[in-house]
Amino acid sequence: MKLMDRSIEPQSSLQFNNHPVPQALILELLNHAVWAPNHRLREPWRFIYVGENSRDELAFIRTKAPGHLIITMKNESSTHKQDENLAAIFCLIQNFKLLAWDKKLGVRVSFYEWMFDQRHCQKLGVTDKERIAAVLELGFIHEWQDAVPKPAATLNWSLL
Amino acid sequence: MSLEQLIRERRSIRKFNGMPVPQDLVKRLLHKAEQLCSYDGEARWRYVYAGTPEARERLADYMIEKFQENKIVKLALGMLTESFHKRFVEVPANLIVFAKTDSDPIIHESSYGTVCRIMQNFQLLGWEERLGMVWITEPAIQSELFFKRVGLQEDERFVGILQIGYFDKAPKGRARTAAERSWTEFVNSGKQEEI
Repeated sequence: MKLMDRSIEPQSSLQFNNHPVPQALILELLNHAVWAPNHRLREPWRFIYVGENSRDELAFIRTKAPGHLIITMKNESSTHKQDENLAAIFCLIQNFKLLAWDKKLGVRVSFYEWMFDQRHCQKLGVTDKERIAAVLELGFIHEWQDAVPKPAATLNWSLL
Repeated sequence: MSLEQLIRERRSIRKFNGMPVPQDLVKRLLHKAEQLCSYDGEARWRYVYAGTPEARERLADYMIEKFQENKIVKLALGMLTESFHKRFVEVPANLIVFAKTDSDPIIHESSYGTVCRIMQNFQLLGWEERLGMVWITEPAIQSELFFKRVGLQEDERFVGILQIGYFDKAPKGRARTAAERSWTEFVNSGKQEEI
């Protein structure tokens, strides 16, 4: 099916079941997702996987999900390069989200205050040369139904 | 084309042929790109489109304006600036993208992240229609003057320009590092976390 004919469930209505998400599947999808455009092939990302049973020591992660995939970004000296790296990472995330949906795997792209807390970052093994770009909560969809495309919003569009 | 193929085979296209890009198609792809992003809440981003010969000329002028300010620079870089200008005028369509900034880091980050994800959908949807694109953020356009000319507001950040056009030849892909090499699994140390 063409991407043009696909739909994805809105993030807020994603309901996960309790099935564990195999790491092999996440890696398989990531190996496609890394084909995201990125400036000068810097591949500025790194992945930290937190399974459902490894969260005991990470009390700051409060959301329940069978898997958490934390995506870090390499820091750059200039804002401009920093923005490029972030953009590349979100392209990768979108690739991953589209691919996951095809496997009935839901992905919530989330942001939390603890992402900016050095102590929590250290605990996760995030070095001072990188920062957390986003947290992906993963889980297989509870009661799968094909997504109904939401009505198109008006584009914020103007002409130069 | 499978989704995997689409994602792996899409390339950034920098050399376009002269075939015109219909504005309606760009809008249709953009609508779908937003829909496929499944974001919640309002859109905190906007697009400025330059697709007519006049708008393209104007955009190219803005892009080289910084080099024209200083007489010496203008003289020294004359030829270069000219070819730069020509290259930009020839791009069939340009989508300039801005995102709203916010004092709340979470809103700030998620707005930028969401519009970047929309741009990736847009590039993939374009590829399905044989429409090539490149997302440019190059230093030449990272100037306050340029931002002012294209209408960047105080509460906005510049996301980039997508240059859009049909193409004859796609470049070869450059191999990516295996995800396994950038992968760590967090395991409990067995120590109680201090709270």
